[in-house]
Amino acid sequence: MRVNFILKRSRRVGRRERFAKVSTVQALPVVEKLVPDPVRELRLGDIPLRQEVELVSIDLPADQAEPLLERGVLPGCRICPVRSSPGGDPIVSIDGSLLALRRETAACLCVRILSSLQDVA
Amino acid sequence: MDELLPASRVTPDDPAGPPGTDGVPVSAVPTPLVALVGPPNSGKTTLFNQLTGLRQKVANYPGVTVEKHVGRVKLGGGRELDLVDLPGVHGFSARTLDERVTKNVLEGKVPGIRSPDALVLIVDSTRLENQLMLVEPVLEIGLPTLLVLNMSDELEERGGRVDDGPLATRLGVEIVRTSARTGQGVEAVRAYLESVEAVPGGVEPVERNLTNVKAGTALPVVDAFAARRRLVREVVDEAGFVPPGPSAMSERLDALFLHRFLGPLVFLAVVLLVFQSIFTWAVPLMDAIDLMIVTSGEWLATTLPDSWFRSLLVDGVWAGVGSVIIFLPQILILFLFLGILEDSGYMARAAVIADRMMYRVGLQGRAFLPLLSGYACAVPAILAARTIDDERDRLATIFVTPFMTCSARLPVYALLIAAFIPDEPLLGPVVGKRAAVLLGLYGLGIVAAVGTAFLLKRTLLKARPTSFLMELPPYRIPAPRTLALRLLDRSKIFLRRAGRVIFAVTVVLWTLTQFPRSEGGAPEMDESALGRIGHVIEPVIEPLGFDWRIGVGLVTSLAAREVIVGTLGTIYGVETADEDPEALQELLRRDLEPGAAVGLLVFFAFALQCMSTVAVMRRESGGWKWPALQFTYMLLLGYAGAFVAYRVF
Repeated sequence: MRVNFILKRSRRVGRRERFAKVSTVQALPVVEKLVPDPVRELRLGDIPLRQEVELVSIDLPADQAEPLLERGVLPGCRICPVRSSPGGDPIVSIDGSLLALRRETAACLCVRILSSLQDVA
Repeated sequence: MDELLPASRVTPDDPAGPPGTDGVPVSAVPTPLVALVGPPNSGKTTLFNQLTGLRQKVANYPGVTVEKHVGRVKLGGGRELDLVDLPGVHGFSARTLDERVTKNVLEGKVPGIRSPDALVLIVDSTRLENQLMLVEPVLEIGLPTLLVLNMSDELEERGGRVDDGPLATRLGVEIVRTSARTGQGVEAVRAYLESVEAVPGGVEPVERNLTNVKAGTALPVVDAFAARRRLVREVVDEAGFVPPGPSAMSERLDALFLHRFLGPLVFLAVVLLVFQSIFTWAVPLMDAIDLMIVTSGEWLATTLPDSWFRSLLVDGVWAGVGSVIIFLPQILILFLFLGILEDSGYMARAAVIADRMMYRVGLQGRAFLPLLSGYACAVPAILAARTIDDERDRLATIFVTPFMTCSARLPVYALLIAAFIPDEPLLGPVVGKRAAVLLGLYGLGIVAAVGTAFLLKRTLLKARPTSFLMELPPYRIPAPRTLALRLLDRSKIFLRRAGRVIFAVTVVLWTLTQFPRSEGGAPEMDESALGRIGHVIEPVIEPLGFDWRIGVGLVTSLAAREVIVGTLGTIYGVETADEDPEALQELLRRDLEPGAAVGLLVFFAFALQCMSTVAVMRRESGGWKWPALQFTYMLLLGYAGAFVAYRVF
C-alpha cells in the first residue's frame, strides 16, 4: 500500500510541478522513485494501436490490481493495444487473450516501449 | 433449496467426517466426488454437461447466491461418481463470490459437501500461458489431478502445438486433450474418472494455502504473481508450446462488432431483436398457455361439486399460478437468446459497448444483461445479475432492475390507456396518443432506474470506481446441448421461485374475499375482508384520486401487477373482464378522473407491486434489508408520482 502511495505522489509531482517541489517529498525513504522518469510516465492509455509495450508497474491499490495480475497483466509482460471500443476504451492483447479495460485503468498502467534493438530476444 | 445434494454424500457440519447415508451402513464407501475447476470460458460447463447429461442438480451454495451444479457420472460396473462444476475463476483471491465458493469447496470447507477426492482442471489450450496461471495454486492442493487441454482441435487448426509428455512430467499430472464441444476426448476423461477412488472419511483437509496474497500487502502481490508467471513460462517452454496464430474469423467479427459506428448499431439491432422476440414471437405460445389454463380451470369448475374448495382451486390457485406460468414462453425465448449471445462470445462485446454508458450512471457493462432481461420479467433478470463480479455493482443493478417495464405491467397499461387515452394521432399518422403514452411509461421506468442507480452509487453503495475488466473470448458456435440444459435450469428456477410465492399470496387473497361469510356463502366484495381493507386504505389513496375499489386492486396486485385487472373486473361485477374489456373501461371512466388514471399508470410504472421480485431480492441480497428498502422506496416514488400526476393532469 505504502509503495503505491509513494508512486501516486510521484505521479502527482511529476504532472504538476515536475522539477519544483522535490523538497517536500525528499523526506520519504524511496527518493529515487521520485526522480521524474520519462519512461515511467508513459501509460498504456497513451500507446497507439498495435504498438507492443512492456508493463513496468501497476499504479493501483492491491485489491484493484489483483484481477489484472490474475489475468497475467504483470510487470514485465508484453501488452499490445489491438482495438479501441466504440466508447474509446482500450482492448489489449496479452498472452493470446483479449482483455477489455477502462481507459481509467489503462491510465494507471505504466509501460515502456520495446525498442527493436534490445528487446527482440 | 440447499438440500439438493444426494443424501449419500451429505455430511452436515463435518465435511471430513464419515458420511451419513440413508439406508446404507456408515462404513460403506461413499460416492467419490470430483471437482471440475477452470478459468471462465475454458469449456468447463460444456465438458460437465457431456459427462453428466441430465443427471445434474442445481442448487445454491449455503448462504450465497452462487449456483452449485452437481452431476452424477455413470461409470463402468454400475459405479457412480459425483462431479461438481465449480464457478470459473482466474485465481483464489476470494474477492468475488465465485472465487470464495471455489476456494471453500476445494479446501473442503463447505458444509454438506465433502472434500473432493480428485480434481479435473480444464484449460483452453489456445491460451495456455494465460490459463496455466491457475495451475500452480490448484496443484498445491495436492489432490490427484487430471489436466484437460480443451479446444486442442482449435489449437492445431490455427497452427499451434504443445507436447503433452513434458507438460505432464513437469506438472506431475495426467493429461487429456479434448474438444468438449464436439465430444472428442470426453471418453478419455471418463476413463480417468474410473480410476478415482473415494477416500473413506474424506480427504484430510490439509492446510491448503489457496490465498493469492495476504491482505494489506502491495508489492509482494506482484512478486507472488511474477514468480508464478515465471514458473508458467518455464513449463510452457519445456512443453514446446507454440501459441496459435490469430483467429482470422474472430478478428473480422470484432472489426464489425467493436467498430466505432457499426458496433453500436449492431448492439441496438441485437437489443431490438431480443425485444421483438419477447413481445411478438412469444405471444402465440402465451395465448396457447392462457387457453390451456382457462379451459382446464373451466373443466375443473364444471367437474368438481360447488364448494369452497372448488372456489379456492379455480378462483385462487388456478388463476394465480396461471398468471405466472403464462410468462414462461417469454422467459424461455429470452434465455435462449441470451444463451446464444453468451456462448457465442458476443455478450462480452456487448458488455464492453454498454460499459461506458453504464459507468456514467454508476453501473458497469455486465449490468446490461439483467436490465435487458428486466423487460420480460424482473425475477430471471435479478438472477442474471449474478455475473456481475463486484458486489456493490450487483446490488445496485438488482435494485433498479424492477424499474424496467416488465411484461406484467402491460395488461394494466393496456386497460388504462384503452379506457382513458383517446385513439388519436399525435405526430402524424404513425405515432398515436396511445403509443406515445406507452412509450412515455417505458421512458419513465428508464429515467427512474438511471436516477436511482446514480443516487445509490453516491450514497449507500458508494465505492471507489472498480476496474472493469472483461475478457473477450474467441467467437464460438454455441453447443445446443449446453443451451438446452441451461433453459431447463432457468425455467425450473423461475417456476419454483415465482410459483411458490404466487401460490401463497393467491390463497391468502382468496381467503380474504371469502370472509366474513354471509348466508353461508361468500360475501359481497364490499363486505368482504378484502373490501374492508380497501375501505381502510381509502383515506391514504384519496389524495391520488383513487377510491376503495382501486385500493383493493392495489392490494391484490401486490401478488403480481396484472392481477389488478381481474380484481377490478370482479369488484365491478364484470365477470368477463378479459373477454369484454369495453364494459370495464366504461365503469372505470365513471369512477376515475383522467388525472387519477394517469396517476395510476405512473404508480404502476414505479411501485414494486410484485411479491415474486421481493422474494427473489431477499434470496439474492441475502436478507430482508434490501428488499424492504427497495419496496418502500419504489412505493413512495409511485405514490409521489401518482400524486403529482393527479394534480397536473
